[in-house]
Amino acid sequence: MKFLCVPCDTPMKLQTVGPPDRGSLSVVYSCPECGYEMAMLTNAYETQVVQSLGVRIGPAGEAGATPASGTKCPFGAMVPAAEDARPGPGESIPVRWTAAAEARLANIPEFVRPMARTGIERFAQERGALEVDEKMLDAARDFFGM
Amino acid sequence: MKGYHDIVGDGGSRVLEQVAGQRARIADGLAGVRHLVAVGSGKGGVGKSTLTLHLAGALRALGLRIAILDADFNGPSQARMAGVQGAVFVPGRDKAALPRTRNGIGVFSMGSVIPESEALDFESAAHGESHTWRATREFALLSEILGSFEWGALDLLICDLPPGAERTVQYADFLRSFDTAPNKPRTSFVLVTIPSAVSRGVVARSVAALTKRSHRVLGYVENMSGYYCRDCDAIKPLFDSSGSPGLEIPCLGTVPFDPELARHCDFGIPFEELRETPVGLALNAVAQRLLGDLDKERPL
Repeated sequence: MKFLCVPCDTPMKLQTVGPPDRGSLSVVYSCPECGYEMAMLTNAYETQVVQSLGVRIGPAGEAGATPASGTKCPFGAMVPAAEDARPGPGESIPVRWTAAAEARLANIPEFVRPMARTGIERFAQERGALEVDEKMLDAARDFFGM
Repeated sequence: MKGYHDIVGDGGSRVLEQVAGQRARIADGLAGVRHLVAVGSGKGGVGKSTLTLHLAGALRALGLRIAILDADFNGPSQARMAGVQGAVFVPGRDKAALPRTRNGIGVFSMGSVIPESEALDFESAAHGESHTWRATREFALLSEILGSFEWGALDLLICDLPPGAERTVQYADFLRSFDTAPNKPRTSFVLVTIPSAVSRGVVARSVAALTKRSHRVLGYVENMSGYYCRDCDAIKPLFDSSGSPGLEIPCLGTVPFDPELARHCDFGIPFEELRETPVGLALNAVAQRLLGDLDKERPL
């Protein structure tokens, strides 16, 4: 979808995407020539069309890149349950994740991330480790993966 | 006044760019897959998933690199049958490693993600309208799975399809879109039926739908073709197949029902233990026939 500022005959630029509110997105465009701003407010069906494609609306790597609904994960209702299944602080010693290991975790689909975190932490603990780093991930990959 | 096509780009939403990116990620992920074999039927309950798993086991026993994609998101059974219900998904450098079975078959199944006490429930922005978007969401999920896991170098990626003739064609169209060479299809179909007239009738519809759209159908496997009685050490009839409609595609083999096979599925026991039984030998024969046919250069 593109927006054109009719008086200027200039394509408008996407500025911000507001957080989803009851299935509606607020997408603000402005004209680079005259500065006129307008907002596209989607209804739930329009939001769903984009959500169904599994993409995010907005510029890459910016806060405006907003999922078409509250979460990209299709199993939002179930994933928290998996998170809850993680041992609490009193149940076991927490395992730290290095920044590099966290970055790798962020590369895998959202709906398997909580399970991956739990399983890898258990794998690390079984080996007496208190930290998950890339070496630990490689070891887990060799152990569990294809 | 400018029209849509006079304006470069997509208005800043990046939707087209992201869809193209998803497709490129899938194509890249499947680049090392030699054959993509989709096991479907149209009919439910004919043993597609069982056959998929044990065919994979027979092919693996031949030394091939095999992975299974359980595309039946609403009734995922491969996780239990393959023994990967508690699989740990490990992040690789860029994508997630595929969990593997004890005999080295890679398996992705939503059954490893969602417990059997839960049903797959897609969130929908349009409340109360999830049925409208269901198929689209399922294919978005399929895209994400294909693009996010390390399929690696495989001889065969076997895709266990959901029931429904129309769904079979949807998956066929989707999977074919990732074939790399137009005149050399990488994606092929194997259909599963049981000897009953009802099943064969449904499968005949799937054959018609697939061939109408020029998909490569290698043939069908007749599952539950009699049952193997261990007491008698003989295969006895299970269905009356008289009057069953013929299927105008090759028969790749017949596989008898064996209660022991069902037990193996329930407990995730690998195929190796059944290799010398009638059902194991039958599955091995189907695997051999399938391999031979896959490498034949056949016109569409």
